[in-house]
Amino acid sequence: MNENPYERASPVSPPSRPNPEPASRVMLPFEFRGNGGEYFRIWIVNLLLTIITLGIYSAWAKVRRLRYFYGNTFVDGQSFDYHGQPLAILKGRLIVVAGYVVFFITSQMFPVFAGLLAVVLALFGVPWIIMRSRKFQMRMTSYRNLRFNFHGQYGGAMAAFIGWYFLALFTLGILFPVWLRKRVQYSLDNSSYGNQHFSFLTDNGTYYKFCIVTLLLGIAVFVGFIAVLTTVFGINAMLMDIESMASFGIWVVMFAFIVALLGVAGYYQASSLNAAFGGVQVGSQYVRSYLKAWPLIGIYVSNLFAIVFTLGLYYPWAKVRQVRYQLENMAIDSDGNLEAFTASSGVGIDAVGEEVGDFFDVDFGI
Amino acid sequence: MIVAGRYFDGRTSAGVEARLEFGADGKVHVYGTAEPIVAPLAEIGISERVGNITRRITFPGGGVFETQDNDAVDRARESFGMRGGSALVHWLESRWQVAVGSLVAVVLVSIAFVQWGVPAAANWAAEVMPADVDRAIGAGSLDVLDRVAFEPSGLPKKRQQELRGRFVTMTKPLDDGHVYQLEFRHGGHIGANAFALPSGIIVMTDELVELAKTDDEIVSVLAHEIGHVRGRHALRHLLQAAGISSLAFALLGDVSTISGVLSAAPALLHAKNSRDFEREADAFAKQWLRENGIAESSFDSMLCRLNDSHGGGEEDDDFDYFSSHPATSERAQCSREEEPEAAAEDAKPAPEDAPVEADVPVEEAPLIDTPREE
Repeated sequence: MNENPYERASPVSPPSRPNPEPASRVMLPFEFRGNGGEYFRIWIVNLLLTIITLGIYSAWAKVRRLRYFYGNTFVDGQSFDYHGQPLAILKGRLIVVAGYVVFFITSQMFPVFAGLLAVVLALFGVPWIIMRSRKFQMRMTSYRNLRFNFHGQYGGAMAAFIGWYFLALFTLGILFPVWLRKRVQYSLDNSSYGNQHFSFLTDNGTYYKFCIVTLLLGIAVFVGFIAVLTTVFGINAMLMDIESMASFGIWVVMFAFIVALLGVAGYYQASSLNAAFGGVQVGSQYVRSYLKAWPLIGIYVSNLFAIVFTLGLYYPWAKVRQVRYQLENMAIDSDGNLEAFTASSGVGIDAVGEEVGDFFDVDFGI
Repeated sequence: MIVAGRYFDGRTSAGVEARLEFGADGKVHVYGTAEPIVAPLAEIGISERVGNITRRITFPGGGVFETQDNDAVDRARESFGMRGGSALVHWLESRWQVAVGSLVAVVLVSIAFVQWGVPAAANWAAEVMPADVDRAIGAGSLDVLDRVAFEPSGLPKKRQQELRGRFVTMTKPLDDGHVYQLEFRHGGHIGANAFALPSGIIVMTDELVELAKTDDEIVSVLAHEIGHVRGRHALRHLLQAAGISSLAFALLGDVSTISGVLSAAPALLHAKNSRDFEREADAFAKQWLRENGIAESSFDSMLCRLNDSHGGGEEDDDFDYFSSHPATSERAQCSREEEPEAAAEDAKPAPEDAPVEADVPVEEAPLIDTPREE
């Protein structure tokens, strides 16, 4: 079971990073072994069970869904696994649903009070929920029978998600890239695999670079769009005289404009994912991420269209397609030894798995 | 039965090539590890099968045997009579016929839920709640309406008192926990209409009082509005909306992408509820009229004249899922002599731009649709 039939050549040469032993490094690619048809059957059966149990089964469905995706994610011939317990997740969901219903009724009866409550909850509650759900997600993940863990505290979440947000706001966005980085840093720096803590290596410079490039590209696209409109279609376009603009040419320009904007969005998305995942160091293992703007945005856009045109039926294939692309453009720049990690505090997984009260599993992306 | 895989002891990430045997003695052995591992079948845990992901067999000490050979593990489970719900779910998930059947069932069940399940649950919840809840929902509604829609009534005080007197004789015997109150306002652009607020306040516009030919017609309108309050339509609507929202939340927690596509569902439900509530209030009004010896035709003639005053008659009989009120032709028998045009119009096909209802929240339950300002 050791050899990996999907093994392929290392993608591209790793970016320059301080590697301890560059001579004996090896690239271990991530791979995804699931497929859309198989996931469709799992998805639709679980959706039906969820509906006929009035949503109660959704907790079991979630566990099966995550186990499908974690269990099909391989690196170095071994897969990840998800250990979330449906009952714990159900408990969390019931609390969220009850809170939602109470809030809905409150907002009907006391709109102003409910509005204030929503702001307070967003400011003080969201960081707490992020912290708890991060903890739950990491603790419920294993690889080679060792659990991941998360050590982030409430204060850290408050600073990263709210504090830096307001700093970015007050500086008119100048600190926006720092805020982006702080959020990712909170999630990753506080994580561990076994007793080995993660380090987040991506620096502010990287964040500033892709944020500024995104901004400049966006400005260039807008300026180019206006320039083409005014020179080719003359003053009419400036006055937005729709009648005289309704020609074939205008549609070509509009289409080019939208494609260019999507390209900019793709660049931003690919860059921020690369900056986040590509900055992870775990001991002497370095995660690399090589997502590219056009393929990524191509997948997003075509998935969206396919889902809408199939009334949602394409969803499972879309999900698999996106996950596969992302994973297959990630690798571990490794010293070749993924077997040297040890469990935290030297005990088996049960000690960690038995934590109670960790039932918040709200999904959020980093 | 022997299965090939890797064993991880849980103390380090190191794994060893190993074989696992489900022994005939009811014990599970792992070979290939430094020390032989053995445990009774009852003490090991076998992870549920999802698709074809790695199977984990967990031993009492925390060690795990991982294998890709799901079928071998399933055969072993079966031969030892280990059956569970999880095996059934995997059986369902691995068949295309089941998937297609599930798809059809999902569509049918969703429709049934919105059509019957949620209203029934909301009605049950409304029955449990005291009348105070209605009052809380409606508190302040009149102030808001006064600010945005109504002007003070120009109706003579004497006429107001006359009608209030009849209203009190109507509501006094009801004794249902609601505090009924009649208010008059100048409708302005709203025109002739009447509204029931959940708190028990019924607002009637001067225009409606002037439009009515007899006091019985006004009484029939009041009976309809009382029907809204008694039926607790605002509360039930609120509960249904909350039910649909939390259902969608629970269902689509996993499927955020299509939740947007399905977000139109509550709007559809809103309109459908609203029509059902109108029918209920109509039925209450007609029954009340019958019991109090007033001709039911008062209600019909009032409704027809109201419909006319709002430029009605162009309403079509086609089933319109977005309409907040049923077609007037369904609600009332408009006499031919009175409305020759309206009757003739009924045969016409639906106009391209069928009138869409003004966005009047159901809590204010107008007597008839208020057409959008042109």
